This record gives sequence, C-alpha cells and structure tokens, in this order.
Amino acid sequence: MNKTADICVIGGGISGVAIGYFLLKNGAKNVLLLERGHLAYGATGRCGAGIRQQWGTELNCVISKYSLDFFETAQDELQYNGDIEFHQTGYMLLISNERELEQMKKNVALQNSLGIDSQLLTCEDARQIVPILNTDNLLGTAFCQKDGHLNPFHMTQAFADAFKRLGGEIMTYTDVTGITAANGRVTGITTNKGFIAAETVVNAAVGWAQEIAGIAGLDLPLFSERHNIMVTEPVEPILGPMIMSFSLNLYCQQTPHGSFLMGRTDDAQPRDLRMTSYSGFPELIAQSVVNVMPALKNLRVLRQWAGLYNVSPDNAAIYSAASDPKGFYTAAGFSGHGFMTSPATGQSMAEMILGLPPTLPWQRMDVSRFDSGELLLEPSVV
Amino acid sequence: MLINTGIPTKEQVLSVFPPAERLEKGPVAVIECFQRIPCNPCQTACRRGAIKPFEDISDLPVIDGDKCNGCGLCVSMCPGLAIMVVDMSYSKDKALVKLPYEFAPLPKEGDTVTALDREGKPVCDAEVIKVLNTAAMDKTPVVSLAVDKEFIYGVRHFGSAGVPPAPYNEVSSQPDDISIICRCNDIDIKQLHDLIAQGFTSIDEIKRISRLGMGPCQGRNCVPLVLAELSCAMGKNVSEISPGTYRPVTRSVSLAAIAAYSESKETLNE
Ligand SMILES: Cc1cc2nc3c(=O)[nH]c(=O)nc-3n(C[C@H](O)[C@H](O)[C@H](O)COP(=O)(O)OP(=O)(O)OC[C@H]3O[C@@H](n4cnc5c(N)ncnc54)[C@H](O)[C@@H]3O)c2cc1C
Ligand code: SF4
Ligand code: SF4
Repeated sequence: MNKTADICVIGGGISGVAIGYFLLKNGAKNVLLLERGHLAYGATGRCGAGIRQQWGTELNCVISKYSLDFFETAQDELQYNGDIEFHQTGYMLLISNERELEQMKKNVALQNSLGIDSQLLTCEDARQIVPILNTDNLLGTAFCQKDGHLNPFHMTQAFADAFKRLGGEIMTYTDVTGITAANGRVTGITTNKGFIAAETVVNAAVGWAQEIAGIAGLDLPLFSERHNIMVTEPVEPILGPMIMSFSLNLYCQQTPHGSFLMGRTDDAQPRDLRMTSYSGFPELIAQSVVNVMPALKNLRVLRQWAGLYNVSPDNAAIYSAASDPKGFYTAAGFSGHGFMTSPATGQSMAEMILGLPPTLPWQRMDVSRFDSGELLLEPSVV
Repeated sequence: MLINTGIPTKEQVLSVFPPAERLEKGPVAVIECFQRIPCNPCQTACRRGAIKPFEDISDLPVIDGDKCNGCGLCVSMCPGLAIMVVDMSYSKDKALVKLPYEFAPLPKEGDTVTALDREGKPVCDAEVIKVLNTAAMDKTPVVSLAVDKEFIYGVRHFGSAGVPPAPYNEVSSQPDDISIICRCNDIDIKQLHDLIAQGFTSIDEIKRISRLGMGPCQGRNCVPLVLAELSCAMGKNVSEISPGTYRPVTRSVSLAAIAAYSESKETLNE
C-alpha cells in the first residue's frame, strides 16, 4: 500500500484526534491520522479524565479555560451521536498546610483575574459540598464548580467522528516505523502497512514522542513515566467534585457512572514505557483515600491499570516546529493534564502548522524555552 | 488446571458431587461452579431453598441434599451451564442425567447420542429420554440421558451421533433484541450488534466505548458471549480473537482491606 497525504498525524490519543479535527476545521485538506493500536490505546484511555482550570500559572489557566469553554459546547460543535458525559461537578483542592494555603490564595487571585470562578472555602463550607470529607487535618479547600469530568473514550470518539465527517481519514493498527526526509524537509513516513508520502508530519504519539522524534533525528527533552490508577464498583452518587491534594498526593473522583477513580504519584516508577500494573500502588492510594473520605472504606476495587505521563523539564507542554527537518511538528510533555488541554493543543498546533495568527500564546511553549531559560514552571501538579 | 482450560479436575468434580447415599435416594442437583463471580440465579431460582443462602453475591452455591428434589429448575437458569441433575433411582442399571444443552439441532426423544466427558471425549452411548424446552427456560433446553450408572462422574455433555453441530451463527441469530449480554452494565445483544457494525470489533474497543465487561464481573460472564458474537460477525474462529486485557485485581476487594495490606511486587498485563 502506498498513500499520499498533505498532513500525517501520528497518534490516536486525544491530542492526535483534536489536532486532526482542528486542522480540518481551520482549512487543511487531506489529513491522515495513524494509530498503532486502537483509538485511546495510550494515556488517553488510561487517564483520570478530570478537567480543571485551577492552575498556578497564567499560561496554564488560559489554556485550560479555553479548553473547558470548548468542552462545554463540544457535544454540539462536534455533532456527536453518543454522549461525551461532561459533568461539571467541580474540583476541590485540599489545603493541608500554611505553604499550600499561601499558594492557593495566590492561585485563586490569579484565576479570578482571568475569569475563572474559583474560591477558597472553609472546612465547614467544603463539607456542605462534600459531606463525606474528613476535614480534621485541613485548613480549608479551593473549589471551582465549573471544573469536572469527561468520558475519555467518548471524547476521543467525538473528535474522531467529526474529523472523519470533515473528510479526515483514520488508520488504526498502523505502526509508524520511520520518517523520511530529503534536503532538510520531511517527505513521508514508513509504517507496517507501507509508505505514506507527506510533507507535514505531526508527532502526537506523546508517551512515545521521544521515539518518534528520535526516528526523525531529533532529541526532545522528554521522558515518560508510569502512573497508576484504580477504579471501584459503581455506587449511587455521593461525591460531586474531584478531590485532589498535592501534599497528601492523591486525586479521587466519582465518575458520572458511579465508580470511583483514584490515583497518586508513586516514587521511582519505571521510565521505560512499561504500562504494567504496580502492586505497591493500591495499598498506598487506598490508605490516602480512606483517610480523606472514611465513608468509602467498604467500596470494592474492581480494576487497576497504568499509563504514561509524558514529562518535560518544567512540567508544561511542548508545542514545537522542528527546524530540521522542516515539516515535523511535536505536541507532547503534558504530564498529568494533556486530556483536559486537548482543545488548546488542537487549535494551537493547527495554527502553527497552517501559519495562522495565535489564539493562545503557543509561541511560549516552543522547545527553545529550555535553552533561553523562559520556563513555564507550574506549582500545582500531582 | 480449571483456570487455564475451563476443565475441572477429578477431585474438584468429586468435591461437588453429593455422597453416594444421597445419590441412591433419587434425583439431585450437582453444581460445578468453581469460580467466585457475582452471580446468583441458581440460588434465586430454587423454590425449595435447597441452595444455601448467599451472604455475598459472589458466594459459591452449596446444595442441601435433604431439600433438593432434583426438579431441575436451576439447571436452565445458570448462565454458565454449571448445573446438572443426576438420578440414580431411574432404573436398576441406568442413571438419568439431565444436562443443559444450548446447541442446535436439539436431539429427539429416543435418539441414541454419544455422551461426552468434560474434555469433550466420548464416554459411552446414551439414550435421549426427554427434551424440555419451555419459554421459561429462556433458550437453555434440558436434555435427559439414560447412561450406565458407572459413568455418572464422567458424563457432562453429548454429541448427536452423525449430526454435526450447527455453526454458531445460526444459533445466535435466534436471541431476541433484549437478550442481555452484559449484566453488570445492562447491555443487550442489539446494542452489541450495533457497536460491532460501527466498527468496534475487538473486546478492548467494545469495553472502552460501552463499559461492557467493566462491571463487577470484570468480563467473566460476558466476554465469552461477546467473543462468540465477534466470531460470527467477522467470520473468525474464537481462538483468533483476543479476549482483551485482564487486569488486577482478580476479585473485588474493599478499600479498607487493601489499605490494611502491605507487600509490593510488580505484576501483570498492560
Ligand atoms: C494515570 C493517569 C491519569 C491521568 N489523569 C488525567 C486527568 O485527570 N486529566 C488530564 O487532563 N490528563 C490526565 N492524564 C494525562 C493524559 O492522559 C495525557 O496527557 C493525555 O491523554 C495525552 O493524550 P495524547 O493523545 O497526547 O497521548 P496518548 O493518549 O498516549 O496517545 C498517543 C498515541 O500514539 C500512539 N502511538 C505511539 N507510538 C506510535 C507509532 N509509532 N505509530 C502510531 N501510533 C503510535 C499510541 O498508541 C497512543 O494511542 C493522566 C494520565 C495518566 C497516565
Ligand atoms: S434441582 Fe430444583 S430443588 Fe434442586 S437445587 Fe435445583 S432448583 Fe433447587
Ligand atoms: S447460576 Fe451458575 S454460575 Fe451462577 S452462581 Fe449459580 S451455579 Fe454458579
């Protein structure tokens, strides 16, 4: 099989399908998306799928607000037949010490100045929203009602269906094995199904972005680290917002379907693209969750799995155009928040590739920031 | 081993057979249910209270031989076809074995068939005494075979001599649209067929888009059914289709129990 495309997007996760959709929406033609497994095989299908705007840097606030605004109308804009299950039940960030309190005060002030409707809550107010919360060792919480949760499989499918409706083509079970270039310009890619001629290639393989960059001759400052997560049986709704704590190292949310998703950052996790389950994880996360919400102690865990966080030196995403070979673009380094920012990723990469004026300040996210020192350090991550 | 082959060992089979004295007295159910899965239709089906009450939906059924009269109600209720009834009082030399049988064509009373063991190997010839297939049995007919008494521990199935079993798709086109495939998430066969038609043609893809197999049974009840449907839809043998990714934990465990545990190891599947 030999094929030709104007633009080839590598990776059928949320970033890949969003980039594909926004490319076509902004006027591109003949876009082909390649995925080694099925759609959402990577981090997208393994993530917590929380959506928040409560960030500590202006850039992250702006990007996540843009994305959340998109999600609010995505069901209609994408004309999706299914349900993306966007539930805006809020994010509640726990405050356990003075340092965290100071940070949250600053964050909320910044967020409010950018039109994000977050607030600080006393323990009492927090319990009004989450009666099962153990506030014994808390100083309060930050809260934003508009944050929430989406179904990652349906969101991916919604982008993919809209992409196809606009004329895009998706090839699953297609593994990219090489990138060809001549005279400093990309000429195509080789796959297990044959060669595809294309002058523009977008690397949205994220967890595997270094591999793909590597075969194009680039060295990006990224690594992928395993993160674990588990889910319980579904029960009646008893928890509205996502509960998250940086110092206690946990996030826990009841999905609209009724199950509880929970995760944490484990120490010394492998960085070799392994996605096997780590059995040291359940015990630690169960302890944290039972401590913060004792009422959950009899909930039964059904499943544990793991996915990759793709991490850059400043924990912020990289949106970049390579200078050699020309025509090679990368979107990666999303740490634990690439799902919620995917509309921004899609729109920004489309503008970069098509030479359109920036809606968001994506120039600041170029990989050159690590040489110039203009880092985008984010204080509020799990 | 059962977990790999689906075939219980002799010891396991004997462990669920009523003692010889009880067998002598007349018909009684034998329940070969060895895996703790969230399933209890057998328990709720029995009108005589002969299956001991479950404290937990995953409990294994235990027969009370004094209460069970071998009526066979539970036989067609078990989705795993794990139950048969054995009647040693049938005649001097022969025992009657009532087996759940979900194959086409059904045999006729008076036919001679080849009784098979748990591995599908022939055991002996058997005469079909009765074929019951009422609406209440919901497409799980029960066939009674007369076999020599010495074979009751071996016989578990049969093949109609000389008649090849129908290809599965002829059988599976029969269930109506409301036949439930995934009981944890209420997904019926029509929804499954729609998903397959939309291009979700592997267990992993179907799971992710529909939550089929993601409930408390973790696919143990439904995945074999979906594999059969995929097999018909794609014209592939079930052995060529991936059963999808099974993940820890193997059995649901409460958060409190996990929190109290401490030991760390690497495990399992991607
Ligand atoms: C446990 C966990 C919890 C998370 N929780 C959240 C959260 O609550 N909110 C949030 O916003 N984010 C969360 N994230 C982060 C989020 O999942 C990711 O940032 C995001 O999904 C990345 O999507 P992606 O499309 O960029 O990458 P992926 O979904 O990983 O997609 C990359 C795709 O590229 C494909 N690919 C790789 N190599 C090749 C090749 N050679 N040829 C063809 N295809 C290839 C892969 O198969 C994969 O499908 C979490 C991540 C993890 C692991
Ligand atoms: S055979 Fe009849 S009495 Fe015996 S356990 Fe089954 S339903 Fe109950
Ligand atoms: S119905 Fe069948 S599978 Fe379910 S518990 Fe009873 S014997 Fe076991």
